Amino acid sequence: MKKFLPLIIIAALCLIPFMDLSSYVMHILILVLMWSVIGMAWNILGGYTGQVSFGHAAFFGFGAYTAGLLYYHLEISAWWGIPACVIVLTALSLVVGFICLRLRGAYFALATLALGEICRVTAENLVDFAQGNLGIMLRERTWVEKTWYYYIILFIAVGTYFLIKAVMESKLGYYFVAIREDQDAAESLGINTTLYKTISLCLSGVLTGIAGAFFMNYMGYIDPGVVFPLYDISITIVMVVMVGGAATYWGPIVGAVIMVFLAEEIRSIPYIGAAHMTIFGVILILIILFLPNGIVGDFHKLVKPFKRKREASS
Amino acid sequence: MPELELFLQTLIAGFLLGGLYGLIALGMALIMGVMRVINLAHGDFMMIAMYIAYWLFTLFEIDPYLSVFVAAPALFLFGLAIQKYLLTPVMKVESILPHNLVILTVGLAMVFSNLATVFFTGDYRSTPVNYASDAWYLTDYWPDSPVELSLSMPWSLSFVIAVIITIALWIFLTKTDTGKSIRATSQDVDAALLMGVNVNRVRMVTFGIGMILVAAAGCLFIPIYYLYPALGKQFTNVGFVITVIGGMGSTDGAIIGGLILGIFESMTATYIGMGWAPAGRFAIFVAALVFLPGGVASILRKRRLAKK
Amino acid sequence: MKRLSLFVAITFIIGLSPLNVYAQDTLKLGIPLPLTGTNAKFGEIEKKSYEIAKDEINAKGGIKGKKVVLEFEDSQGKPEVARSIVERLIDVKKQPVVFGEYSSSCSKAIAAVAEERKTPYLVVTGATDDITQQGYKYVFRLNPTNAYYATGFMSFLNTVVKPKTIAILYESSDFGTSGAEDMVHQAKKAGMQVLVKEQYEKGAVDFRPILSKVKAARPDVIYMVSYVMDAALLMRQIKELRIDAKLYAGGAAGFAIPEFVQNAKEASELVMTATLWSPQIAYPGSREFAEKYKRLYKDYPSYHGAEAYSALYIIKDVLTRAKSWKPNDIRVAFKTTNMVTAFGPIKFEDKAGYTNQNFMDTLVMQVIKGKHETIWPQKYASAQYVYPIPKWRERR
Repeated sequence: MKKFLPLIIIAALCLIPFMDLSSYVMHILILVLMWSVIGMAWNILGGYTGQVSFGHAAFFGFGAYTAGLLYYHLEISAWWGIPACVIVLTALSLVVGFICLRLRGAYFALATLALGEICRVTAENLVDFAQGNLGIMLRERTWVEKTWYYYIILFIAVGTYFLIKAVMESKLGYYFVAIREDQDAAESLGINTTLYKTISLCLSGVLTGIAGAFFMNYMGYIDPGVVFPLYDISITIVMVVMVGGAATYWGPIVGAVIMVFLAEEIRSIPYIGAAHMTIFGVILILIILFLPNGIVGDFHKLVKPFKRKREASS
Repeated sequence: MPELELFLQTLIAGFLLGGLYGLIALGMALIMGVMRVINLAHGDFMMIAMYIAYWLFTLFEIDPYLSVFVAAPALFLFGLAIQKYLLTPVMKVESILPHNLVILTVGLAMVFSNLATVFFTGDYRSTPVNYASDAWYLTDYWPDSPVELSLSMPWSLSFVIAVIITIALWIFLTKTDTGKSIRATSQDVDAALLMGVNVNRVRMVTFGIGMILVAAAGCLFIPIYYLYPALGKQFTNVGFVITVIGGMGSTDGAIIGGLILGIFESMTATYIGMGWAPAGRFAIFVAALVFLPGGVASILRKRRLAKK
Repeated sequence: MKRLSLFVAITFIIGLSPLNVYAQDTLKLGIPLPLTGTNAKFGEIEKKSYEIAKDEINAKGGIKGKKVVLEFEDSQGKPEVARSIVERLIDVKKQPVVFGEYSSSCSKAIAAVAEERKTPYLVVTGATDDITQQGYKYVFRLNPTNAYYATGFMSFLNTVVKPKTIAILYESSDFGTSGAEDMVHQAKKAGMQVLVKEQYEKGAVDFRPILSKVKAARPDVIYMVSYVMDAALLMRQIKELRIDAKLYAGGAAGFAIPEFVQNAKEASELVMTATLWSPQIAYPGSREFAEKYKRLYKDYPSYHGAEAYSALYIIKDVLTRAKSWKPNDIRVAFKTTNMVTAFGPIKFEDKAGYTNQNFMDTLVMQVIKGKHETIWPQKYASAQYVYPIPKWRERR
């Protein structure tokens, strides 16, 4: 039964477009799926390999701009951005890795934060090549209806999920976790930590970039402030994974559902809407204090008060 | 000589800016050294201090420079509370990712800046004091000077006060017992414990001092700049860039790093282009991380050891 | 665990139910605006202006007898949020016409959505030229574009000042970039040499390095495209560095609102700015609107307020003339618009590569004795311009 659960869920998700939901609800679902992909991608590097990155917006933005610039300069469909991402983002990941992976812990976090910001400022300044803050706009998006976008991102999300599962259940996965737990011990056991950290980073970067390229196609308009910002993208990714649960398969997905849901619903409430960042901040603090392994990771802590009640009443 | 004038004016601007930047970084460096945490909410504490100064100016016409005496103690107490109830518990919690403390400060930063937007609206505010654009001009004192240099009055005032505070801090750290305990904890926690230092108390006091420094920095900045809720991010960036350039946890490094960054930013703005200045800041940051991980402090330390 | 996520998903699918626009005799109109974020101030000015217009329209019987109810939605200044708001308005709430938003990037995102869903969109404030250069049939813009912001100002320069050189400083946003690009274009046409052209990131602390560079270049005119705080800081530091130019001018936005004078104090005196509208101008309803706004909110509104106020009147006019409230009929009504609002004359034309664009005279204001006065073109002037301006050292 348990083995079939993922397939059942996937089948259910495939049927959703037939439920004739409003375009707005489809939009939310697409966002949830996209953030799940980004969260899962970050999780490879952060949750499993223990390298916490505060700069994943760099990868996301690069992916979006790859798609956008292919359209802008070569006048081909922005969907080519997705395969192009694999090459571009691997190159970017190698560069980032070369600079940052030699650093540990908080230094790595800060370095990635800095790189994310450098990408943003560079994009703003490259007015001739990349339009700077004028942004890149698709004259027409491929489809007006959301259905195909939904299936594409669903396909990407499912693919990501199984890819990560396969990687983590292989030797590669063990190496990642070993590096996270104690990098020096792993190195002394003969694990080439630099190589595996780089692989982890590349996987993480490419998947995030693909999500970015999808975003370009779906949104139809990007500029440096939309795809490279620190709080709206980089830190939100960290939040998604932390809230859901780092180093779990379902954590980023749960995190994405909660964060997107919260973001959209809170925003619409008249006065509280302006305070949504406060609410997120408070949630983040509460999670860190009480559920540091996220909802999935610390699920037993969440369930404990309910279990106790049951015992008391019986 | 327009080129010389341009260079000197840029240098002066960089110097003044660097002095103020250093003050921000000092607080962060102290906290980093003792608590081993990168306080990404540092700039937002500064923002809170600036709002205090703003309201004192607008409602009671108190000059921002005097507001330090109100903002500093207020932030000291506030900082202590945060340290006790939020930071310390998290330091003890077990989790898969050890970076929870940093992420916690990110959460705090979000809460502070957003609450400020809710309560004070996103409007830009400033404290337009009467001497805001006054300056001393070289040609007023030396009419035949080949270059026309100007020294802004509020900038110079802020710079001088920053220097005074830095000296006061230096005296505190080297001559008093508490100061020495702080430095001991920063160098080696276990050794300090063995020496009988109350590490918990030291952590609290250090955080408090960090808050006082950042409050002072805020009050010194508001006459020359302006205020808005999202300001914290920018100054947190400055803070951690300097601490890395200067060397994590090193106060000497923070001062020198501040000057380096200030002059570097000014020079970049003049000679390369102002749009690139923020990128330049981060580039120097990454370069420091990669090529000189110990920062300026490590160079100083080598020199000190070499002398012996 | 998986139960939890399924539960969460189902809950919010249920929680979102479509709402109807036509409830009996009220007409609900959703307006996206940046109510939080860096542009919140302008979002506030526009919101207040929309509300003044709404109250006036309702007092006179509403639109076709229906009472107008405005619902403002916060886009936070982010294009993806603005887009999502408008999609909801069109798809869920079935609003047949959309208008609003402040920044160019948000207006652009909305324009794309409106065009593909064949719903008319009235651009109120977004100024980058490309929004109405795409050949979109459903997008109409009431405000002049960046390329036309400075026409009034250029006419002043060519007639009175006749400068040979110019320095341009601009913030790195789309507004700043396109305003600067346009000034470069205009300068070339007028035979002026651009000595310095520098972009800076909003929120910069210290402009003195770049201002020293400008000082060394000795331009005749210093032209700045900034929002208010940068504008104030720039002028303060220009005064401090004693940079003497024949003229200091802003490209609207930050230079055209009262806060500029409050924050820059003496440094703002005699600074000119291009602007689209001023409280002294004599279009029908314009002065009354400005005074009403001032009575309620203590300061005159900026031109953004006038744009918003007029936008609602245009919507009223269009909805009254339209054969029905189906999007295409509304679009047809837009195309035949010919009215004069408090902001100025409104006619949507296809001209010079633009589609459905309104073309208007632009003005020049100057800060004289701490107040913004309209000085050019002279037929709109409320005061005589001050030129040449004295050097900093000679000013007391």
